[in-house]
Amino acid sequence: MTLNELTPGTACTMTDLTAPGALGQRLMDLGFCPGAEIEIVRNAPLVDPVELHLDGYHVSIRHNEAKHIEVEV
Amino acid sequence: MKKMMIVLTLAALLAFTGQAFAHSPLMSCFDNGDNTVTCEGGFSDGSSAAGVKLHIKDGNGKPVLETRMNEDSEVTFDKPAGSYVVIFDAGEGHTVEVNGADIVE
Amino acid sequence: MGSKKMLVALAGQPNCGKSTVFNLLTGARQHVANYPGVTVEKKTGGFNLDGTRVELVDLPGTYSLTSYSLEERVSRDFLLGDNPAAVIDVVDGSNLKRNLYLTLQLMEMEVPTVLNLNMMDVVERRGQKIDISKLQEVLGIPVVPTKAKKGEGKEGLRAAVKQLAENRSEAVFKIEYGKMEPYIEELEEQLKEDPVLSVQYPVRWFAIKLLEGDAEAGELLKRTHPDAEKVIEQTEDCRARFQVEAGNAVERHIAFTRHGACAKIARETVTLPAVKKRSLSDRADKYVCNRFFGPIILVAILMLLYQVAIVFGNWVALQAWPIWGAIENFAAEVLPAAGFVNDPLLRALGLWVVKSTTAILNYLPIFFLLFSLISILEDSGYMPRMAFILDRLFRRFGLHGQSTLPMILGGVYVGGCAIPGVMATKAIPDERARLATIMIVPMMNCLAKVPLYLILIGAYFADVGGLAMFFIATVTLFIALPVAKILSLTVLKKQPSAPFIMEMPPYHIPTLGGILRRAGERIWLFLKKIVTVVAAVAVVVFVLINYPGLTEDRNAHYADMQSSAVVTFMKDVSKTEFKGTITQGDVLPIILFGESLKRAKQGVTDKDVSAGINQDFQAKNPTYYAVVKRVGKDGKKLNRSLKKVIKVRKKARREARSERFETSFLGTMGRALEPVTQWAGFNWRINIALLSAFAAKENSAATLGAIYGIDGDQSVQDSMKAGESGFTPLHALALMLFMALYPPCVPTSIMVRHQSNSTKWMLFSIGYQTLLGLFVASLVFTGGTVLGLNGFQAMWAFYALCVATTLVMAMIPTSEEKETAAAATNTTCKENCS
Repeated sequence: MTLNELTPGTACTMTDLTAPGALGQRLMDLGFCPGAEIEIVRNAPLVDPVELHLDGYHVSIRHNEAKHIEVEV
Repeated sequence: MKKMMIVLTLAALLAFTGQAFAHSPLMSCFDNGDNTVTCEGGFSDGSSAAGVKLHIKDGNGKPVLETRMNEDSEVTFDKPAGSYVVIFDAGEGHTVEVNGADIVE
Repeated sequence: MGSKKMLVALAGQPNCGKSTVFNLLTGARQHVANYPGVTVEKKTGGFNLDGTRVELVDLPGTYSLTSYSLEERVSRDFLLGDNPAAVIDVVDGSNLKRNLYLTLQLMEMEVPTVLNLNMMDVVERRGQKIDISKLQEVLGIPVVPTKAKKGEGKEGLRAAVKQLAENRSEAVFKIEYGKMEPYIEELEEQLKEDPVLSVQYPVRWFAIKLLEGDAEAGELLKRTHPDAEKVIEQTEDCRARFQVEAGNAVERHIAFTRHGACAKIARETVTLPAVKKRSLSDRADKYVCNRFFGPIILVAILMLLYQVAIVFGNWVALQAWPIWGAIENFAAEVLPAAGFVNDPLLRALGLWVVKSTTAILNYLPIFFLLFSLISILEDSGYMPRMAFILDRLFRRFGLHGQSTLPMILGGVYVGGCAIPGVMATKAIPDERARLATIMIVPMMNCLAKVPLYLILIGAYFADVGGLAMFFIATVTLFIALPVAKILSLTVLKKQPSAPFIMEMPPYHIPTLGGILRRAGERIWLFLKKIVTVVAAVAVVVFVLINYPGLTEDRNAHYADMQSSAVVTFMKDVSKTEFKGTITQGDVLPIILFGESLKRAKQGVTDKDVSAGINQDFQAKNPTYYAVVKRVGKDGKKLNRSLKKVIKVRKKARREARSERFETSFLGTMGRALEPVTQWAGFNWRINIALLSAFAAKENSAATLGAIYGIDGDQSVQDSMKAGESGFTPLHALALMLFMALYPPCVPTSIMVRHQSNSTKWMLFSIGYQTLLGLFVASLVFTGGTVLGLNGFQAMWAFYALCVATTLVMAMIPTSEEKETAAAATNTTCKENCS
């Protein structure tokens, strides 16, 4: 399943990244790697973007970017 | 529907009391020594104050004279007896008050 | 013996306190410029290190060193090209694992690195512990802990830099890329063949970059390597082989390996607390980013921003006005004396330039407050939250969540100023959205436009004033949003768009010093860049509105007015004791003497001070004084005559000015444009007013007044009505809309040029805004006329049109959505096809 399918409050572990080019690089630069533990903190008031908690810091990404992150709960 | 309009209008007016400030009114007055006083008006952004209303009130707030700035942005009027206040009224909350006691020769 | 010099770079990920470290090391000695040819800010400062002059360059904060973003490329170019003696890598100690990702890349570039473990106060607060000596041992580079916010750790940093510069030792740590290592070696062999390349760049790093598919490395290769094609082919081959062998793309393998290395190091050196506490920032965000409270807090903060910066700022500006007034008076005194009707060129030009410059300097207090408040917003970490809440909405129109602040500053609903608005677009990371924002901010409600609205509404919509104000204040938003969407779908389509991916750093209490410093930098930039150009443009405008000037006939006409007034005065003089003392040549000087006296007394309310000034003037010229201040019976008599002359003079000057204006270059332009602007309902007089308003928006109300030749008892409103009989509310509506949309002022255009780093975009923005304004005004005027609508009806019909357009535009998918949709169909196809 992909990250954008999860609801706020869920924790998961990343398994794969299917994002192309610059998007993929940027995600990797910010710590989105297989094995990374991600917690979905909240959605924005207008649903998009979504705030995520990685190891000690928070990152928000759009749902269409989260679609490229494969995770398992 | 009418209530909505009133509310909207009030909201607009309220919001705009904070408006247009760089267009602040300015006024300097001089006692001419011949029982007349000349007041020159303007705005901080350089606009002319021609046609702007001037109210002169006495010490009790009673209106003594109503006049307007002329095409040169100034007006001369007879100096009232006793204490008085000159109010430059550009409307929409743009007013400047000068106390008669501060108008020197 | 010359002093030694040393170049040191300061690098780090965003939100690690890099700026604070920079200030800690360099103190007040800083200089802000741009990296050559780009809009990336380059901050340099200096400090003294035991006799060596160190130049410290603050590189842009980046999470990595790929070649995908401008900031990263600029940093890399600096590190490789400018050859700093050392780089200080500022790291957020409480996020060591993630920050090491950059550190390891810096080390891979073989630049002597100092690891500055900053924000140790946060580390302690969170109950974490870092084994610094272990870290130093593993990495093989000096590690210096600091609490830059508290000012601690400066000496350690300085010592480390000194030590590094003196003994350039090799870092110990090297990332082992496992399966990729043989491929790296293969490419290294190829690269070593290039004599230039192998010396200029670290070979291993270059090989890794090539394998990674780094675009810039490829470019560099083509430029220096004798047989670049062969190397590139081999690289592609390696990449393909690796993919087969490892089952993973090279760039992924590299990133994952790096993160793995960081994690290992962090595990060995960082001890986390047993119990994880929810930080204060997390708890605050529960409200700030909340579905319900979030927007409320946002609106509250923006209103507070407005209250302090604009309302309070205006009050401060008003108090400061006497300074500018004094400068104007000083100029009036110092420049060559005025004439009866015409003034000497130096005087006229000088006063005009001074007035134009003080008009914009008048805004300084507002700007200073605005810049300070923006600094607070930036430093506190609130901006990402603002972007988080509003991004979805702005994205629909090709903008970005961080477009909020520029739009607010430009004036959404209530008054603002486009200059700081455009300046604030600097923070928007997405280039396409940034340009779109820059293009629409000038359309917002700037303070200087408001007097014009007030005049027109007062004259033509007096009974529905509030509603009319509401209309003009909000309609611009509904025009700006669709325009932004259209621009991003057409003209801006080619601009790079960046992923949103945004870090939400912990909240942070800004330091007063930091805020003031930042606001000061921006004010200085403003003064340097904008005020100078405004002064220059003022000269151009002066020529345009004063030349070719009055014909001989007309000059003669005014000369006649002058002489008849003077003759009358002299007749009166001959009846007084001043006969013989006062001659014809004294008339003008007496008038000027009187004006000089008034200027000297401006703002004086103390009787004694006033009396003192009177005495000074009387001593200077008793005769003149007598006439001006009504001393003696004859003085009183002559004073009345003097007043008559003054009145004639004022009239002559006013009329001459008006005539000069109408026959000037600008006036001719206005007339020439009439055939085009008539569809918008503008005649040549209005055209002139609009042309001059662009050059100096603040003067537009005055210009309107001058053109209509304000007459005695009438206000500007009434005069306009009388002057333009046949001018209906529909005309006024078209005019207001044009004024709302066309470029507000020269300083804004300069700022557009500065922020977009291109004259092309500045000209585009001026061009399209003018055309849009004309189009809208024509649409409203001609459309309204054809449909038989009155002003009020046309107003709301147009409003409905704008809102509808906005909603329609919102529904059109953005280019990302189109891409994602296309990509989705592609993947499905692959799955089915295999």
